[in-house]
Order: sequence, then structure tokens, then C-alpha cells
Amino acid sequence: MRSSDSLPPRDLPRQFASRAELEATLRQLFPQAPGGLSPIPGGRRAAEAALAAIDPAAYGRSRNHLDGAVTRLSPHIRHGVLSLVEVREAVFAWLARSGQPPVAAQKLINELGWRDYWQRLWRQLGDGIWRDQEPLKTGHPPERYAAALPDDLLEARTGLACMDGFANELIHTGWLHNHARMWLAAYVVHWRLIQWQAGARWFLQHLIDGDPASNNLSWQWVASSFSSKPYMFNRANLERFSSGRYCSACAAATDGTCPFEASYEQLQADLFPGASSC
Amino acid sequence: MLKPVLWIHGEALGPANPALVAHPGAPALFVFDRELIETQRLSLKRLGFLYECLLELPVTLRHGDVVEELLSFARRHGADGVVTSAAVDPRFGLLREQIAAQLPLQVLEPEPFVALPEPLDLRRFSRYWRRAEPVLWGRGSAAAPPAPARRWDR
Repeated sequence: MRSSDSLPPRDLPRQFASRAELEATLRQLFPQAPGGLSPIPGGRRAAEAALAAIDPAAYGRSRNHLDGAVTRLSPHIRHGVLSLVEVREAVFAWLARSGQPPVAAQKLINELGWRDYWQRLWRQLGDGIWRDQEPLKTGHPPERYAAALPDDLLEARTGLACMDGFANELIHTGWLHNHARMWLAAYVVHWRLIQWQAGARWFLQHLIDGDPASNNLSWQWVASSFSSKPYMFNRANLERFSSGRYCSACAAATDGTCPFEASYEQLQADLFPGASSC
Repeated sequence: MLKPVLWIHGEALGPANPALVAHPGAPALFVFDRELIETQRLSLKRLGFLYECLLELPVTLRHGDVVEELLSFARRHGADGVVTSAAVDPRFGLLREQIAAQLPLQVLEPEPFVALPEPLDLRRFSRYWRRAEPVLWGRGSAAAPPAPARRWDR
């Protein structure tokens, strides 16, 4: 690290011998910030490498799978290291280069559209993104939901291998696959009956692509305050899109206590017994 | 504005930042917003990611009160104003107002992902996408067939 006495007063250092030295400096600068660095590096070089590696066709086919060809561009887009325009042009250039039909890139362009949509909504709603956009469709009154996350979730010791795995990944890497975000959010809101805002704050604390608009409005989509019905999943869905990696090592999956082991109809009845429209 | 300083914020940490494009070589500042970091209890992962992005930009780094640090930086450089890029986070709007009360402030807009006439119906993504998708593909090499819009497929 460059000696601080060679810098103008209050300027922060810009030269580090290693990532470990950067981390040590940041711990001194921000002693209240929990954890360490993400294994995912920031910066234009990393962003350009991620952009050069995109495969829009494979993305379209496999993006819902935890092992799918997701782009991992979100942290770079969120902080403007890559602009949406640059990514859009890279996708069109990929189409021209690959000779694939436009439909091959349609899913990826659609997801870029979601990013643009959330930002436009944020401009319109401002801090209103923290409030329910519509009444919940779960049949539960708002006061039924707890205001804070429980310790077992924050400490990744719920006893459910999937949810503990997602919480650990969130806390230690700062990135989660979109499907894992959905499952974890649905578990928090519908199985644990916790206000979506508590989960949204938790995600924003850790996600290196943490964007209040995308994050909060997606939590509201799960909760059903920005959608026509609550999002839920069952074990079969999670097991399929995670290749069974969690269930195979989970006691709850074999001892009959997995809370996700049910049909959608059964879960609907159990989780939302008072919902009139479901 | 003859001698501005640039205010770089966390929504535009790349070379497409219109303030950096319009004023190459001008003194630029990023401030780690102490109040925001503390109230949101941001993790070191998030701060480290930002820091690594900033190390690849020609920008001075500080930690503290954003307005105070920016005005002090402008004084150090004898600046006659501040140039920045548009931001969506309403917090930046409040900070901009405080800065503009002290120094001339210019806000530059980045190129939009898709240019659409306002007002736009944003009640559901599908309504936005019906307008945006044809415009986007109209500027590509060929038109794509419309697809059903659904967030987070089950």
C-alpha cells in the first residue's frame, strides 16, 4: 500500500501489493462492515472478461438451472462498469458473429429489459420501492409477518441444506443464482412468515449486485405485493434445477421433515389457507 | 464551466460514464458515503467490489460526508463547478441538490438502453416490454418473434 503520508489529506490509498493487502486496508477503513472480500473481483477488466464469455443461446436454454450458462454480468451492470447499451451491443455482435437467428438471444435481451424496467420504476417510485405496491394475495394480514430475520437464517443453520447453502453463499460470496434468490426469498416470506423488507435489506447488505429497485421489486414479486399471486416452489422443482446437490446431503430430505416435499396444490392449501383467489 | 471537478458515483463506474467522457483528465472524486454504509450495514464484499472498480478509474477516493468531501475537493482544485452523471437512486438527487446550492452543477445523461416516449405504462413488465422490445430489435440486424414475458420462470 502506498504510504498514506504521500497522499493529500483524507485521500484513500490506490496502490496495493495484493488483494490481501487491499482487504486488510478496507478492514481498517470500514471496521463496522462485516465479512471479507468477495471471491468475485470488481473492475473493468473482470467485467470485459465476463462480457466476452457470454453465450446468449446457452443462456436462453439453461439459465434457470444452478449450473446453467448464466452471464454473471449483474454486479458490473449494477455499478455501471458495463452499461446496458454496451451489453446490448455485445449481444447483437454475438448474433452477427455466430450466425444464429435472433431468437437465440431473445431471453438475454429480455433480461436486460428487466433491468431497464426496474430502473424506470425506481425513477417513478423513488423510496416507494420499500412499500407494498399492492395488497398481498396470500390471505395473511400484514401483521402476521415478522419484522426481523431469525438468527438461524442469518447464521445459515436452519437445518435445511438448500437454504443454509444459499445463505452461506450469500454471506461469503455476495452472489446468488437468480433461482436460488427466488427459493430463498419464498422460504423467508411464505414458510417463515417474515416481512419481505427484512429479506430485501439482508440481500442488499451482501449482494455485490445489490440494486434496491431490482432487489425490492423482485422480493415484492415473490411476496405477491407486485404480482397477481405469491411465488412458491416445491422440492421437486428445487431438486431438478439444482441437480439434487442439496437434497442428497440433507437430513430433512430423508426423515420426512422437508417443508418443500409436497405438491403445489398441497403447499397452496398449507401456506395460503385464507387466500381467496388461489 | 471552464474548470470543473467530476463527481463519480456508484451507478457509473465504467468508461461510458458521460462525465468522464466529456471531461477526460479533469479531477474526479468518488466518496464512500459514510452514512449510507453505516445505516445499511453494507458488507466488506460490497465495499471491496466498489473499491476494485474504482482502482481502474482515474479517480480520487475519499470516505465521509459526500457533499462536504466534494466541496473540499472542488476547493482544492479551484474548480468553478461540478459535473456528474445522472443517477436513479433518489439519495443522489438529494446530494445533488445540496451540492448545487454551493456550486454550479451539471448532470449528464447516459445513452438509454432503449429510447421510449414518456409517459410509459410501468404497471407490469409486459406492458413496458410490448413497447420496448420492437424498438430494441428494430435497431438490431433482424426482428425477433415476440416471446411471453414472465419473470422467474417456475
